[in-house]
Amino acid sequence: MAEKKQKAAGLATYEPSFAKEVFQNVDYGEKIKMCMQCGVCAASCPLSMVMDYSPRKIFYMIRAGKREEVLSSKAIMLCTSCYSCKVRCPRKIPVVDVMHGLANYAIRQGYVPREETMLFGKEFWKQIVRLGRIDEKDLPRRYFFSKGLIPGVKKAMELADMGIVMLLHKRMKLLPERSIKGAKELRRMLDKASAMGPGGR
Amino acid sequence: MKYFLYWGCSLEASGSNYLASLRPVGEALGLEFEELEDWNCCGASISYIGANDLSIKVLNARNLALAEAQGGYDIVAPCSSCYIQMVKVNHEIQEDEGLKAKINEILREGGLNYTGSIRVRHVLDVLYHDVGTEVIKSHVKKGLKGLKVAGYVGCQTVRPYGEYDSVERPITHDAILAAIGAEPVKFPKKMRCCGSGIFLTEMEYCMKLVKDILEDAIAHGAAMISTVCPMCAMNLEAYQHRINKAFGTEFDIPVVYLTQLMAVAFGLDLRADAALDRNYIPPEVVLKEVIGH
Repeated sequence: MAEKKQKAAGLATYEPSFAKEVFQNVDYGEKIKMCMQCGVCAASCPLSMVMDYSPRKIFYMIRAGKREEVLSSKAIMLCTSCYSCKVRCPRKIPVVDVMHGLANYAIRQGYVPREETMLFGKEFWKQIVRLGRIDEKDLPRRYFFSKGLIPGVKKAMELADMGIVMLLHKRMKLLPERSIKGAKELRRMLDKASAMGPGGR
Repeated sequence: MKYFLYWGCSLEASGSNYLASLRPVGEALGLEFEELEDWNCCGASISYIGANDLSIKVLNARNLALAEAQGGYDIVAPCSSCYIQMVKVNHEIQEDEGLKAKINEILREGGLNYTGSIRVRHVLDVLYHDVGTEVIKSHVKKGLKGLKVAGYVGCQTVRPYGEYDSVERPITHDAILAAIGAEPVKFPKKMRCCGSGIFLTEMEYCMKLVKDILEDAIAHGAAMISTVCPMCAMNLEAYQHRINKAFGTEFDIPVVYLTQLMAVAFGLDLRADAALDRNYIPPEVVLKEVIGH
């Protein structure tokens, strides 16, 4: 009865199935239980004004069962990892880590909240798995061309000035990409970690 | 004092002026930096897109385990992103025996083990707490004579743990600037985010963040900006012309590393040690009274 009234008044009702899904599958997802909706995270976030939903709203929507809206929201991928929210949350929720966990889960579920950031992040991780380190000269190239030759050339041209300036100021590594000595062992560890963690790869 | 220097991926390329100046400054101050052998990337702030949290923890645990195996000295990270990744994982391992066991089970694949004994430090922490401003002052040969500098702290340098400085009102960066004769300006955006690892891919949003920081620093009298993180430095310096184009601004403010300013103040070589020639926006103009040309 109460629920009907709430719905009639246009208020969201609790719908626990998505929340359960988040608690079980998202890294740090369970921490959302602690949220008291104070909004300090939203007020502290440098990019909340360009997000479709603030972190506080995202947490509320998870409780309200808004699966589609949450997993496709750009908010979950616009975290700059500045840790303002994590520092200030009165309930000690590691908001940054929850947002990262949500982004990782959304991508695994086939959502693409922010395409460019996703492509860059994927290439970033691939390079770590392959080399154990990031090569700042090869990573952008791989990211530029991750959507194919023509978009790659376009993107490379747009940012060519940066590359040239970096090169001229000795802020680009000229040696070809090289892996760490323990790259093989590291890959074995990462394979195991991705199978063991709640996130998985 | 001896430390493992974990300089990270950026300092080998876009942050090469940081590494180039950190080494001679450290040497002048009697800090012995040894490279952590066969270190791997920390995962930075973007790996969550392709990896689960445990994988990122393992990346950092491997470096911590290597430090234990290679002698157990404190790890010094000049990059704020490396620093916070490693500090975070270290905390979590030290506070959670279950996690530690899980991670060690994984580290065994590479013949490694981590007990949790390593201390992870930011360069700012070592300079302020281990060396101290008095000792730094005693090395100054060419004081920066009231040069107005915005000591930009950024985010991951002190947040979220605040192990060596306040997370809301940090003082260490400004104290070192003052020790080398500069005049640190107060500016409210000193802790505001530059966009970090998503700047390149979310430029339309992040340019505004940097514009606000630059505007704030300049409005409070800064002639240059000092940073202690390669990502802050990159985002604040390399995109100024793009921001000018997008917002009709006229930014042309030099962005240097604190260690570059220290090298200048210590009277070290301006190219080989201070690496001033590696900055996109030449800092020499602002420094001309100090360096004499």
